[in-house]
Amino acid sequence: MALEIPVDSTTTTTNAAGPNPGEVIVTDNLWKTYVMGDQQVNALRGVNLRIRHSEYVAIMGPSGSGKSTLMNLIGCLDSPSQGRYWLNGHDVSQLNDDELARIRNKEIGFVFQTFNLLARATSLHNVELPLIYNGTPTAERTARAKEVLESVGLGSRMDHKPNELSGGQRQRVAIARALVNRPSIILADEPTGNLDSKTSVEIMALFQELHAKGNTIVLVTHEPDIAEYANRIVTIRDGVVAGDQLSTRNRNQQP
Amino acid sequence: MARSVTKLSLLGMLRRSLVHRRARSFSALIAMTVSAGVATALLTLYADLDTKLHKEFRSFGANVVMTAPADKPLAAGVLEKVQRALPADAVAAEFAYAVATTDKGTPVVAAGTDFAAVRRLNSWWQVDAWPAEGDADAAIVGQRAAGFVGDAKALKLAFAGRSIALRSVGRLSTGGDEDSRIYMPLAALTQWTGVAPSVIEVQVPGGAATVEAAIARLKQEFPELQIQPVRQLVEGESKIVDRTHALMYGAVVLIALTVAVSVLATLSASVLERRRDFALMKALGGSQGQLMGMFLLEAVALALAGVAAGFVIGSAAAWAISEGNFHTATLPHLSVLPVVLALNLVIAAMAALFPVRVLRGLQPAALLKGE
Repeated sequence: MALEIPVDSTTTTTNAAGPNPGEVIVTDNLWKTYVMGDQQVNALRGVNLRIRHSEYVAIMGPSGSGKSTLMNLIGCLDSPSQGRYWLNGHDVSQLNDDELARIRNKEIGFVFQTFNLLARATSLHNVELPLIYNGTPTAERTARAKEVLESVGLGSRMDHKPNELSGGQRQRVAIARALVNRPSIILADEPTGNLDSKTSVEIMALFQELHAKGNTIVLVTHEPDIAEYANRIVTIRDGVVAGDQLSTRNRNQQP
Repeated sequence: MARSVTKLSLLGMLRRSLVHRRARSFSALIAMTVSAGVATALLTLYADLDTKLHKEFRSFGANVVMTAPADKPLAAGVLEKVQRALPADAVAAEFAYAVATTDKGTPVVAAGTDFAAVRRLNSWWQVDAWPAEGDADAAIVGQRAAGFVGDAKALKLAFAGRSIALRSVGRLSTGGDEDSRIYMPLAALTQWTGVAPSVIEVQVPGGAATVEAAIARLKQEFPELQIQPVRQLVEGESKIVDRTHALMYGAVVLIALTVAVSVLATLSASVLERRRDFALMKALGGSQGQLMGMFLLEAVALALAGVAAGFVIGSAAAWAISEGNFHTATLPHLSVLPVVLALNLVIAAMAALFPVRVLRGLQPAALLKGE
């Protein structure tokens, strides 16, 4: 297993001042270094990033570029070796496991490539799961899970287990689960990676719908056509931000 | 098709986990039940062991011997005083001895005693027929003593020129000195020989400490008598009881360790199988405490179910073992339940240590990525 070690860096910090009003994600000189055997691998080498509320951002990059590592840090699934990270105004870069779990529960909705649903639980129970950990009362939990399942078009599939659903429906359950806690950001890691083209289009349409309703979406993908659904594309290469631009579609919509 | 919607809760998740992994849950439950069952059986037997073993040892006869000085036989009423000084379930019998001559001219020891008391005291004696109560001229003849007399049925004995005729009603076989004696009622011997009782044999129920305490009390009340424990019996009994206790403790510990290993394997497999589920729960905001609590709850639920089943099975086993070996039933002892419960909880906690470490070290990011 890779071990995390602190790393000295001379990278210029450009986000050290922290978040400005309206910004939900701010990273300052974010490093992640793993020790693998006798080698040190710098997966991230000083990433500076600012994402505003209600933005729809795609993080793109080839395999091994560090985009998944960045997603893990942004999703509070991992802690940086160096640098700072503010999520919704709070510095979360030095929090312990349980504090990070609370932040993940409250602030982040995850959508994974492999759906990651509990196989033996119904759609409704899968969606209710995040609410259990923050102590939401049963009646409210069920009502909110039903409401959000209906909003993703699965009102008639609440009692079905994952193996009784299609790939697209499973991903909709995962999206409903991501939404149920009304998080600050929705973090989607290759959400169409396990879906056929037609279903991928449907799922991306759903993300656009969610964005239109004001949700902040961070989409991690290596597929340019999927990244084009976002308004802004951040390209990661060799552990640094290699590009940060509006998507073609968004550029075309600019006056 | 409409389905019933069950409510989701941590307890519901626990139930689902146990039910859906029923093979693993069942194997862990069996292990926990075995541990609780064996512990219950042994501890239940253990609780009654002293009583039962001491009762068994009572069949070996007297464990205290009181002897009067050669020149001063026991006074009348001493036996009653001895009985009053002892616990109610103690048995005592007095003996008078005289060396008589048989009709063949062979010397033989004639012993006078109370047959009813001797029968209770020495239940291990092999006697083919005991004299009826109040039968004044009935005797039992030792195996070897039968060879000293002309007619083994109609005994004729002489002492200091005075003779007595007795009916032999039974043959005695002990393998000891008793085989060379002729036993008759104490009153008949005293009347015939004028010899008063000089020995009282006592069976004090209980362990070495109880016997020593009884001896101390008797010595205090009867300073003129020589009072000795039958060492090999008292000490042998004590050693056997102590070793049986140690054996039982050892068996419980050994079985507990074996079960702990088995449960450890089951719980570890259970965690490793569900690493992804636990990783997901972590990613969705489950704290270390919540996840470990849920997992430990599973282990505790299995331990409690094992205790419930094991207590019933173990109590039944203890009853059967006791009935088979001691011919008396051992009833369930509720007092062993807390011990069995604690033992199973300790086993569950020990077995959960490794899986809990695995849980703590889970990296949701890698697992949810499918790496």
